Formats: sequence, structure tokens, C-alpha cells
Amino acid sequence: MKAVILAAGEGKRLRPFTETMPKVMLPIANKPIIEYVFDAIKKTGMDEIILVVGYKKEVIMDYFKEYKGIKITYIIQDKQLGTAHALLQAKDNLKESFIVLAGDNIIDDKGIQKLIQDKSEYSIIVKEHPYPSKYGVVFLENQNLKEIVEKPKEEIGKFISTGIYKFPMNVFKKLEQLNKQGIHDLSSVVESLLKDGILFSTNTADSWMDIVYPWDLIQVNEIMLQNIKGSTSGTIEKNVIIKGDVSIGKDTKIYSGSYIVGPVIIGEVCEIGPNACIFPSTSIGNNSVIHPFTEIQNSIIMNDVHIGSSSFIRNSVIARGSILRHNFTSSSDECTIEIEGEFKKVENIGSLIGEDCTIENHVVVDPGVIIGRKCNISSMKRIRKNIQSNSKVM
Amino acid sequence: MCGIIGYNGFRDADIVILNGLKKLEYRGYDSAGIAIIDKKQQVYKEIGEIKNLEEKLPKIKGTIGIGHTRWATTGGVTKNNAHPHLSTSGKIAIVHNGIIENYVKLRENLEKKGFKFVSQTDSEIIANLIEDNYKGNLKDAVFSAIKKLEGYYAIVVTCEDEPDKIIGARLQSPLVIGVGDNENFLASDIPAFLKYTNRVIYLNEAEICVLTKKDVKVYNKDEKVVDKKENVIDWNIQDAEKSGFPHFMLKEIYDQPDTVNQVLRGRISEIHRNINFNENVENLLNSNISSIQIVACGTSYYAGLIGKYIIEKFTDTPVFVEFASEYRYFGLKHESSLVIAITQSGETLDTLAALREAKNSGCKTLVITNVVGSTATRISDAYILMQSGPEIGVAATKTFTSQIIVLLLIALKLGMIKNKISAVQLYEYIRYLREIPRTVRDVLNKNNEILDIAKQLKNAESVFFIGRGVNYPLSLEGALKLKEISYIHAEGFAAGELKHGPFALLTKSTPVVVIATKDATYDKILANIGEVKARGSQVIAIAEIDDTEIEKHADFVLRVPGGSGVLPSIPIIVVLQLLAYHVADLRKCSIDKPRNLAKSVTVE
Repeated sequence: MKAVILAAGEGKRLRPFTETMPKVMLPIANKPIIEYVFDAIKKTGMDEIILVVGYKKEVIMDYFKEYKGIKITYIIQDKQLGTAHALLQAKDNLKESFIVLAGDNIIDDKGIQKLIQDKSEYSIIVKEHPYPSKYGVVFLENQNLKEIVEKPKEEIGKFISTGIYKFPMNVFKKLEQLNKQGIHDLSSVVESLLKDGILFSTNTADSWMDIVYPWDLIQVNEIMLQNIKGSTSGTIEKNVIIKGDVSIGKDTKIYSGSYIVGPVIIGEVCEIGPNACIFPSTSIGNNSVIHPFTEIQNSIIMNDVHIGSSSFIRNSVIARGSILRHNFTSSSDECTIEIEGEFKKVENIGSLIGEDCTIENHVVVDPGVIIGRKCNISSMKRIRKNIQSNSKVM
Repeated sequence: MCGIIGYNGFRDADIVILNGLKKLEYRGYDSAGIAIIDKKQQVYKEIGEIKNLEEKLPKIKGTIGIGHTRWATTGGVTKNNAHPHLSTSGKIAIVHNGIIENYVKLRENLEKKGFKFVSQTDSEIIANLIEDNYKGNLKDAVFSAIKKLEGYYAIVVTCEDEPDKIIGARLQSPLVIGVGDNENFLASDIPAFLKYTNRVIYLNEAEICVLTKKDVKVYNKDEKVVDKKENVIDWNIQDAEKSGFPHFMLKEIYDQPDTVNQVLRGRISEIHRNINFNENVENLLNSNISSIQIVACGTSYYAGLIGKYIIEKFTDTPVFVEFASEYRYFGLKHESSLVIAITQSGETLDTLAALREAKNSGCKTLVITNVVGSTATRISDAYILMQSGPEIGVAATKTFTSQIIVLLLIALKLGMIKNKISAVQLYEYIRYLREIPRTVRDVLNKNNEILDIAKQLKNAESVFFIGRGVNYPLSLEGALKLKEISYIHAEGFAAGELKHGPFALLTKSTPVVVIATKDATYDKILANIGEVKARGSQVIAIAEIDDTEIEKHADFVLRVPGGSGVLPSIPIIVVLQLLAYHVADLRKCSIDKPRNLAKSVTVE
């Protein structure tokens, strides 16, 4: 059976991190999100992935030629009209029943396995969720899908649709028909199929995580780091303390006096310390340098990042190539963040810093502040509000 | 990375295999070979591109055979190390892609049993190992053999005693089966046989397959037959290996943020404030060097010229740059001088000859190359690898930036050894090196601006590139890139030399690209722009971001991140590469394979 993975979207709510790469390529525990989806598919024994790409497709196509023996066929969706439209692009590459899933949801293989073994033609994976009103809430009848209510205002049910389906080839008739009417999202297609009396069997996922907002990256990173196994292949100087599961990549150097408490993953060719403290649950990408007396906890530091001495970083995301000179502070607290016109309350959040920023000495960033890509901030500033990409703070 | 192919059918195997290898050339191209069974195994191998093999290959009869295109990993680029490899009796032929980690031990065991080896590769043991296990059934012999292998592989095997079948096996390296009518294929990648069939079967890890003309059988690691489904390939993406880029050259330009990290890998430490090379290189640099001679050809020669500026600046050691083809016959060879040879492929004939001459005269020799195990690495005292991955576009891009970074690292290291560079300076340069990937990304983001400027150049008959100091060799490289892929006549000049002759060629319709960084000669270069403008030519300036003066002088300005001295060189190179690329693309030229040019020049 083939899996169709939809990975064409940008992820606007994750800007500025998605300005140069699609959402599915953002790193969680130093792996692109979509690699977790590939891993689950590999475990189920499926042998081919049809990957629908669009926004910044080269980033994905350059990274994955195939995946551990699984063939990847790329399909390009030129305009990102919607999930149903994306699936329609894959039609000519399919001959029989298939699974469709989103590239930006982390799921375990067991849920998909149930879907594959399910005898019924149409099938969906559902999941109990603490915040169901963010998603399509599902209602069941005799274990079959009865209705999906998209983003209900009130809490009307606990189970949501994960957007993971098994479809027969027949589904394309419906997709084509609705496509002509300008309906491009998959949940409308499912709704229409339900109206036609099609039976959807339901299966529940053990674990399913969706990444919508920047702080979801931090939360999912924390969860995925629990699976990290301790291993050190770099150079570790004397008097470095390592506790718990800490994975250290090739050619990385940890200098004397550093204190690292896992779960932590540190990529290849990094330099850390002397006397730096890395606390759970932190991911540090490749080629990054953390200078002396800096403390980092529960954060994602991507590739090629420079963090100067005596800095403090907590509950934050620092994107690729950013340079933070010494005495940088990300203060972390509860706050309300505006994303694409919506106001979201977040419990404990530090700073969210885009790619290739330069932040000079002694800068303090208030909780939940989003700093765009390629911003320059001069020294001794306190940043209280979001800053757009390519800005200068003098 | 290597490309392998096998064919069993009714067509002439030599043609099918050569066509397939050309499609696999992106996986490696330093040597190639084929083995076809025409009663006996007929094996032909050549160093260099597949074209080279094609030209020298006699017509071979036979409809079953295997082929290989190589990217050297274990063992240098020689005819003996090229695949296919034969077993000692000459009956069994194999091609291999991957690495056999326990080959030294296996080889010792086989040698004790009397098997003969003619290559330095890890792959050759597979042929002898299969022969050692051969008791009249090739499939059983392959099964026994692969059980002893550690590492990863995709292999294709033929045996002249069983001339009706080819056998494939894979573990972690790619291998796919192409299913035809009365013919079957095996290859590293689908494009190799897509011309003949679009029906494929994917092999899982540790599976082996037996292909006759008529049928395909796949076995799992327990030697049980497994049922496999055919997949029909409907490729709507022509060249997946180009990752969506229309040309390898553009892909390789965009690879540069990564290749820069690769070349720096393990060689700089920021906290430690140190530059490290392997022991051989460090010993060489520590050995009281009085002067340096850089020998190279083409783009590598221009990298050498930039190296001269950098090394002289940091070390006060005189550096002479010479064309390898001249140095080998006419160059002065001093025993106390270090000869640095720069060759992407490690096989450039003129550079190798220069290297040998230097060595024979008692000079110390150091090689900067991209290919591990290449001849250059074996005949020099020490070598530094660029680690840039295969470069397929004939016009060098990522390997040029890597060469310059290696030269900068050498300069900094020598500066440290000779105490000519302070710890503060060193730290600043290490920080600069760390930031290059980011500055390169910055330039890549300006791709559309550069495309707009390229439109100004596309109809020119002749383009000049001028600069002073380190910008002079950059001008030469900018001109070389443009002429080799767009076929527009282009020349690079030292800006101060224009008035001593080249001015005679300048007309209103000759655009001039001026590299104007804010160094000590900035005022002079502005004056040069004035001279050019006075003759009515259009001026395209490449200048630093914070340069507000330049707009008053030039017609168009392309910006690069600033810095002093050599620092802006790498982003400027990327601008020049993109400029040449877009001009050639607008003129619809064959960018990856320009006329009359070859990637590595292994002839004099």
C-alpha cells in the first residue's frame, strides 16, 4: 500500500520560521517533522511514499531522495488551494487503496497499522484531544463516522479528526467533482461522502501531535526528546558533567566545566562551553556555538547559531544562522500572542527568533516576542513587541 | 556514491548499459566500466567520464552484462580500481556501490586460499568471495557471500558458467529492478532503464533477486521466494537528483551554504581559537617554509591567485601562482618551497605532471582536492579534502568557494605558526568563517535581483570584469564563468591595467562589471568607473551593503555583505556565479555541459 503525504503548505502561523522552508522541514529534536511521519510509515512496512510538495519544495526534495529504502515519488502542487486539491495531484500515481496523511502531524505507526488492516474501504483515524475545538470534532455511530464539525465554538465532543484516511480509488471521482465546484479541502470531501451514505470506519491513534503555532514546536520537542538515547561521539573535555540521556553528535566539542542534563540532543560540529549549562529539554542543531556561562533550557536552537557568553535562554526557539552576542536574555512567562489575527494565551514562553538575525550585546527580549528573519538589534535594547522580518532596531 | 546497472535481454547489452550509465553519471564520474558475457566475460574500463569509455569501447556482442560509474571511496582512481571486478578465475564479474567495512580481513583470508587481487578496492573481494562459495549455483554462492559482508552494498553479479542470469543484492544502497518483455534490468536508479521500461520492482533491505530474460525472482534473507508487486512509474519530475533545480550548476550554487560547513568541519574551533589539519598537513606547514608556489589550471588557478593575496597578507611569505601546464616545463623548483597543487578531481593531467616534477626536485607538496583516493592525493606529501560532494556541472562553483576557504585556512594556520597573526585577528576570522553560510544565503536570496541584471548582459557581445587587489582574480573568475557557459566573450582585468591596452576594445555596447569593495583602493576604482563611463559603457557594480557612494557612479548595483580585506570575496563569487548562470540560461545555453568542455581534463 502506498502512502500519500501532504507537505505542500507553508504554515503561515509558524512564520517567521517558515519563511525559508516548509513547515514539515522544521526541526524537532534535530529531525525534520516529516521524518517522524516517514519513520511511522517505514515501521508499518509500506513501500512507497507519494509526497505532494509545493511551498519551498526544493528544501524537501534536496533533503530526501528516498527514505531508508522507501521510494519517494514527488508530486508538485503548484498552487496551495487545499488538502483535497493536493491529494488530487497524486491520482495518476495510485492504482489501489491508499493512506493519506499530513506531513506536519507526528503520529506513531500503530494508528496507521490499524488503518491498513481495517477491512472497510473508507476509514479514518480519530484521537481524543484536550483542546478539541481547534480541530474538526467527530461524532460516531456504531463505530462509524457520522459527522465532522470543524472548529466548533463550544466544546461539543472530545474526539477529533487527525486528517489521516484510507481511501479507495473511487474517492477521486468525488475529488474531481468537488474540485470543479471550487471545494478543495479534504474535510468537505469527507462530509460530502458521508452525505452520499459512504461508511467510514474509525480507528483511534495512540499518539498524534499537531504543530500549528511556534510554541507547539517547543512542546512537541520536549515530548520527542523523551525518546532520545544517550550517546556521545564528539570530544568531551575533563570535568564535564552529563546526566540523563544526552546525545552528542560527531565532531562536537564540549569544553570543561559544562553541565548538561538530559534529555538533550546536540548536533554535529558544535562547540559548547566552557562552563555552559544545557538543561532539559533542549535541542541544539549542527554547527552551533554556545559560549561560556550561558544557560539554555527547554529550547530549540537550530543549525549554525551563535550564542554569546553569559546568556540565558528558556522556552525559546532560535532559528538557523542567528547570532546572539553576549548577555542575551529571553525572559519567559505567561503571555498572550497574536498570530495571524488570532490572540492566543500561552503559559510559559520565551522568545521566538527567526533565521539569520544579529542581536548585539545585552539585549533582553520579553516573553512571547516574535522576532522576524534577518533582523538586526543593536546593543542594550529591551524588545517588548514583535519585530517584522528585515527590521533594524537601533 | 557510485552508479551500477545490469541488463539481461535481447538488445545489444553494450548500448543499453552505456545509455544507462550516462543517466547514472550524477552518482559519480571518475571512472567507468562494463562487463558483457560473450561466451567469456568481456571487461572494458576507462578512467574519466563515461564518454571516455564509450569512445574507446570496441563493439561487443552479447545481450547480458553489467556496468558501473565510479565515485572513488576506497582506492584511488585507476583502471584497476574501476569496476566491474573479476574473480581470480575471471568467470564471475561484479559491480558494487557501497562500502565493505570488513574487507581487509576478508581479503587476507581469501589471499591465504590463493585468490589474487589486482585492485585496492573493497569491492574486489566480493567477486572472489562469491567464487570461493561457488559450487555450480550462482544464487547460492551470492547468498553465502553476502552473509560474510559487513557494511552496505548494492551489487550486481554475472557468471560465465550461467550466462542466462544476472543476480542483484542490496543492503542500504539503492537497487531497483526494471521489468521488460523478454528483458530485465537492474540499476541504482530508475532513469537508467526508463527509456526501455517503466515497470519497476523495489528490492527491500537484504533481499536478492535473480533475473533471467523471461522472469524475475526475489528472495528474502532466509532464501525464501517473496512475491513482489510491479509498480508503474509515471515520472512527472524529470531529474529528481537535481532536487527541482533546472540545472546541476544552479543546484550546486545553492549547495554552497552546506559545502562551506563541510569544508570547515573539524578544521576550526571557535572557543579554542585554533585551526586544525591532519598530521601530515600540519607537519608540512610547520616545516620552515620560505616560499610557496601554487600550481593549478582553469578555475583552480584563479583560486590560487586569490590564495596568493590571502597567504601573503597573513604570513609575509612570498607566493607564486603558476599554470600547471607551464610550471611542469618551465617553473623554477626550489627545495625549500612548498608547492600547493589545486585540482578538483585530483586527476587533472597537467597538475599531476607539475606535482611530479615538484616532487622529483625535492619540493614539499600539498594537494587541495575534492576526490579522496585520487592520484593527486597519492603522489603528494599531504592533502586537504574539500569534502564538497560530487560536482556535476562542468562550470566549477561550490568547489571554487571550498578551494578559497581551504586556502584561507592554510593562510591562518601558517600565520599562527609564523606568529604573524594575533589571537584577536584569528578569532575574528574564525567568526567570519562561521558566518559564511549565512552570508551566502543572503546572496542567494538576491537571486531575482541578479536575474534582472543578467537581462542587461544577455545580448552583449563582450563583457569586461574589473577589480583591484583580491578583486582582480575574482574578476578573472567572473569572466571565466560567463564565457564558459554563456559563450559571450568575457575578459577580466586588473582595473588599473585597462588604460594600458584593453581600453581599445571598449565600446558603448561592452558592459563592464566592476567589483568595488571599500578597501584602500576604493577611490581608485571609482575613478576607473569614471573612465569606463566616459566611453559610454554600462557599469554594473558589485559593492558592499553600506556603500552609499557607489550609486552615484554605477548604472546598476548588486550588494554583498560587507567586511574588510578578503572577507567579501565569497559572497562576491556567489553573485558572479549566479550572474553567469542567468545570462547563460536566458541565452538557452547547455549550462551543465558547455560545448567543447569536460569536467576533469585528463589529457594534456
